Amino acid sequence: MKELLTELKNKIVEELQLKEVNPDQLADDTPFFDRGLGLDSVDLLMLVALVDRDYGVQIFSRELGEKVFITLSTLAAYIEKMKKTK
Amino acid sequence: MNKPWLTQYEKHVPHTLSYPEVPVHRFLLDTVDRHPDHQAMTFNEIHFTYKALNERVNRFAHGLLKMGVEKGDRIAFLLVNSPTYVFAFFAAMKLGAIVVNLNVGIQGEELARCLRDSGAKAVVTLDLFAQGVYGVIKETGVKAVILHSVFGLEKRMPLEQGVPHPLLFQDLLASADSSEEPAVPVSPGDVAVLQYTSGSTGAPKAATLTHKNVVSSVLQSDSWVGISGAGNAAVLCVIPFFHVFGLSACLLISVLKGYRMVLVPRMDLMDILSLMETLKTYKPLSFPAVPSLWAAILSLPPEVAREHLSFIRVATSGGAPLPPWAHARFEEFTGRKIVEVYGLSEASSATHFIPFPRGGPIGSIGVPLPDTEAKIVDRETGKEECGPGQIGELVVKGPQIMQGYWNNESLTSATLRNGWLHTGDLARMDPDGFFYLADRKDDLIISSGFNIYPGEIEEVLMKHPKVKDAAAVGVPDRIKGQAVVAMVALKQGEAGDKQELLRYCKDHMPEYRLPKAILIRGEIPRDPAGKILRRIVRQEALGL
Repeated sequence: MKELLTELKNKIVEELQLKEVNPDQLADDTPFFDRGLGLDSVDLLMLVALVDRDYGVQIFSRELGEKVFITLSTLAAYIEKMKKTK
Repeated sequence: MNKPWLTQYEKHVPHTLSYPEVPVHRFLLDTVDRHPDHQAMTFNEIHFTYKALNERVNRFAHGLLKMGVEKGDRIAFLLVNSPTYVFAFFAAMKLGAIVVNLNVGIQGEELARCLRDSGAKAVVTLDLFAQGVYGVIKETGVKAVILHSVFGLEKRMPLEQGVPHPLLFQDLLASADSSEEPAVPVSPGDVAVLQYTSGSTGAPKAATLTHKNVVSSVLQSDSWVGISGAGNAAVLCVIPFFHVFGLSACLLISVLKGYRMVLVPRMDLMDILSLMETLKTYKPLSFPAVPSLWAAILSLPPEVAREHLSFIRVATSGGAPLPPWAHARFEEFTGRKIVEVYGLSEASSATHFIPFPRGGPIGSIGVPLPDTEAKIVDRETGKEECGPGQIGELVVKGPQIMQGYWNNESLTSATLRNGWLHTGDLARMDPDGFFYLADRKDDLIISSGFNIYPGEIEEVLMKHPKVKDAAAVGVPDRIKGQAVVAMVALKQGEAGDKQELLRYCKDHMPEYRLPKAILIRGEIPRDPAGKILRRIVRQEALGL
C-alpha cells in the first residue's frame, strides 16, 4: 500500500502537471479537491484515465467516484482492493 | 474583396445563405410542428418531447407575463445546462425579453455589476446559486428571483427584509393559466441575448446579440456541417449554455434540427464521471467540447476511448487550440477528425470553422463561414490590410456580429469599426485562406475556453490583507490551452504562504480563473510609468 501511494503521488503530480506540489511532501490523506490538491473536473477525468491506463481499474460512475476520489489513501485502497479481486 | 477561403469550402457548403426574417424561437416552433414526438432533451433519466418542451415553455412564458415581465425586460440566467434553462430561454424569447447569460461561477461584486449593468428585472437560478444572488440583490434592480429548487436549500436561506421572496419555478409553471403561444410580436432586430464576457479593466461587458444575429450564426454553423436526415440523433450538451459555443452548438442547433439534447449539468466535480456512461448510453451524433475536455477523454486507454467515441460524427472543439496529439488520437480511435471552431461572444458564436468533415491544417482556426468576411489588419491603426502570412489583428464582419456592447458606446466604437469587429486576436492568413492565431493584442488569457483578464485575478489578490502588489499572466498549458500564473509581492513583514493565497483565490473567484501557481517575489516588475512588465512576469512563470 505504501509503495502504491508513493507511486500514485508521483504519477498524479507528473500527469496533472502540479508544478508547485512536491510528491514527497504530500500527506497520504491529502484530499483531491477543494482545500487539498484543488483539482477541477477535467483533472478528475485525467485521473480516471491514469488509473485505468496504469492499473486497469475503471471508475466511470459518479456513485463509485464519490467514494474513491476523496483522498490519495481512498484511491490507493480501492486500487489495491480491485487488484486483489482480479 | 479577395476571399481565397472560398476554394476550401466543401461541396455541400454554399458561399452565401438566405436568412429567414424570424426570431430565435421559430426554430422551436418549426421543430414542434415537424417532430412533436421527437425527444427534445434528457436530464437525469427524465425525458421531454418537443411537444412537452414547448408546452412548458409556454406555461413558463405565461407565468412570466403574470409577474409583469414585458418585451425588452432583461432576465438574468444563472443556470447550468438543465431543462430549466431551456424552458426559460425559449419563454424569454417568445416574450421578446432579453436573456442575460451569466457564467454560474461569478459571484459577489462581479455578479452585482452584471445585474446592475444589464438592468436585470428578474433572475432565474437554482437554489444552489441563490445565496450568491441574495448576497448582492440589494445592490441591484432585481425585483424577482425564480428558483428551481434541486436540494430545497431555499428553505434554510435567511432572507433580509425588503428583498423579494423567491418564486419557485415549479409553482410558476403550475400557476400559469395557459399553454398557448404568447401573443407578443418579436422582430429579428430585437435584442435576444446579452452575453457577458470579461472586460480588460475588470468590469464585465455584454455583447448585445439580436435574434437575427443568433439565427444567422446557427444557420451558418449548420450549413457548414451539412448533415441532414439524422432523425432524433443525440447531442451531448456538456459545454454550458451560458457560453455562446454551448448556446449555439448544443442548444440551438439541436432545436433547429430536432435532435435530442443530452444535458450534462456539471453542477459539481463528480458529474464528469457520468459523462463516459452517458456517451455509451446515448451514442451522440455530435459532441461539442473544449480542448481540456477532449484532452482528458483522449487520455483514456485506446480501447476505452474507442468504445466511447466511435459513433460521434461531428466532433467539434472550440475556445482554445486543440493540441496536435489530441487530433491524432481522435483520428486513430475513430477514423474521423475533430473540427476546430473559432468564435467569440461578440460574434454570437463561430466565425471560422475547419472544413467538415475533411479537416484542415493543424494549428489553423479554419476559414470564415458563409457570408463572413475576415481580414488581417495592422495592429497599430487597424486600417492597413496585411498580406498573406503577415501577422496583424483579425477583424471580421458578418450577420452574426453583435450590435455593440450593452450600455458602452466608447467600447463599442473602439471594437466595431465600419461594421468590422476587431477581435483583439493577432493572426495571419495563409495563401489558401486558412487563418492561424498568433497571440493576443491585449493581455487576455484563454483557459478552457473562458476569457480571463489579468485584472480580474489581480483585483482579487490585491484585496488579500498581506498582499502589496500582484500580477497575473497566462502560460501555455497542455490541457487548458493556457493557465493562469500569478505573482504577488507581500507587504513588509508578512510571511509568504502560497497555499493561503490559493485558498483565498478559491473563495473569491470562479474555478476557471484560479491560478495554477503563485510566485512570491519582493516586487512586481513595473516600468517607470507603473505598468506591469508582463513579459518579465511571463518569463518567470514559464521557468516554473
